[in-house]
Order: sequence, then structure tokens, then C-alpha cells
Amino acid sequence: MELQTKGKVKTMENTPLMPEKDSSGLADAIDRILDKGLVINADITIDVAGVELLGIKIRAALASFETAAKYGLEFPSGTNIETAAWKDAMIEKEECPQCSKRVDREELLNTACPWCGWESAKAKKRKAMKVGAKIEVQ
Amino acid sequence: MVRLRPEETGLKELLDRILDKGVAVDAIARTDLGSLDLLRTKAHIILASFKTADKIGLDFPEGTDLNTPAWQNLMRKQSCPVCGMESRQEELKEEGCPWCGWNYRPKER
Repeated sequence: MELQTKGKVKTMENTPLMPEKDSSGLADAIDRILDKGLVINADITIDVAGVELLGIKIRAALASFETAAKYGLEFPSGTNIETAAWKDAMIEKEECPQCSKRVDREELLNTACPWCGWESAKAKKRKAMKVGAKIEVQ
Repeated sequence: MVRLRPEETGLKELLDRILDKGVAVDAIARTDLGSLDLLRTKAHIILASFKTADKIGLDFPEGTDLNTPAWQNLMRKQSCPVCGMESRQEELKEEGCPWCGWNYRPKER
């Protein structure tokens, strides 16, 4: 029961509420890249007849707004980073293994997914400990 | 029975690998005319995820704040061999995976 893989958890309980997560596909691939962030660094030089004619130096980082904000990338001047959405981006999020919604990591790990009610092993352990303590008190 | 991340195949897995391992392209193209070195192009290109880039010490664009909590968390996390979810390395080792409950020494508990 405890040793479930990500794929198995989906079919474990309340099956009718299960949105099927397509783990391959372009959308998912793009999600992944934007979420992890991509660094592209390049140094290119072009010499003509022994003379360095052109040198290109590229330092590029590609990421979603959320990831960019988290890793402190610089935004174009004039961007207002005091808005609620930016503050929200700084909270660490994780995808729920069951419903794939992105939710607050701490909440997902320590209590349950607020969307589908999925519980992590840690949350289950905590709950079990609480129940145990109550029984002892009684 | 422990299966290793069963559903991760295809594009996602491929991408993960490429991003995590990084891609380096080192190329020189030369065009000679007679004995004259006419055109020479050198390219050093590297492509990697943020985590890998940080690990191997790539330059980030100017103005990047390298002191945000996300940078500090990046190195401390390790993915679980069973479910693939990331958690703090010490937690994964000491208490088991908080996501799926995997523990490499379950007998002690």
C-alpha cells in the first residue's frame, strides 16, 4: 500500500474523478522545459583570412515566468514585480501526482491536495500518528 | 515489486535526459582557398537545464540574482528512485520518500 508508484496511485482510489494525465506529447514537453528552465550559452567567432571579423557571445536563459521569478532572472525594465502574481510565483509549487494541478508544495506534502484530496505518504504517516496519540489519550 | 518510474517514456523522458545531461556543441568550420585560410568559424555552444547549468558553473545572463532560495534548494534535492518526485536529500535518506513512502531501510521502522 505504501510503496506505490506515481502511475499506480492514479488508480488507487476514487477512480471516477480521475483526469487522465498524458505524460508524453508536445504540450507536456514544453511545460517541462519552461518549468526546468533552459540555459543556452554560445561563443561563436568568425575569422576571415586570419583576421577575427565577428564574435558573438550569447548568454541566454529560457524559462516560464514562475521559474524566471524564482531564480531571480532580470525582467525587462518597467515590469512591475510587486503584483500578487509575482509573489505567488515565489511560493514553491509541485504538481499533484493524482490530478496534475500545481499546488503549494508544503500543503501537498503535509496535508493533502486541495483539489483532489490526494495524500502523500508523509501526510498519511502524520495522520496515523495523530490517531495513535488520540487512542493513547483515551 | 519496485518498478522504476514506469510511465515516463517517450518525449518527456528524452527531454528530461537532454536537459539534465546538457548538450555541448563544439564545432570548427574552415574554408581554405589554395593555401589561404579564407574563412574560419568557431562555435562553442552549450545547452542545459538551470540545475545542470548551475552544477557545471555556466554563466547566467547579467542581472540574474543568484541568491534566491530556489538556487539554494536546487542542490539539496534528490529525486526518489520509485516515484520520481523530488524531496530534500536528507529527508529521502533518513525518513524515506515523503511522496510515495519508499524507504531503503524499511526494516528499522
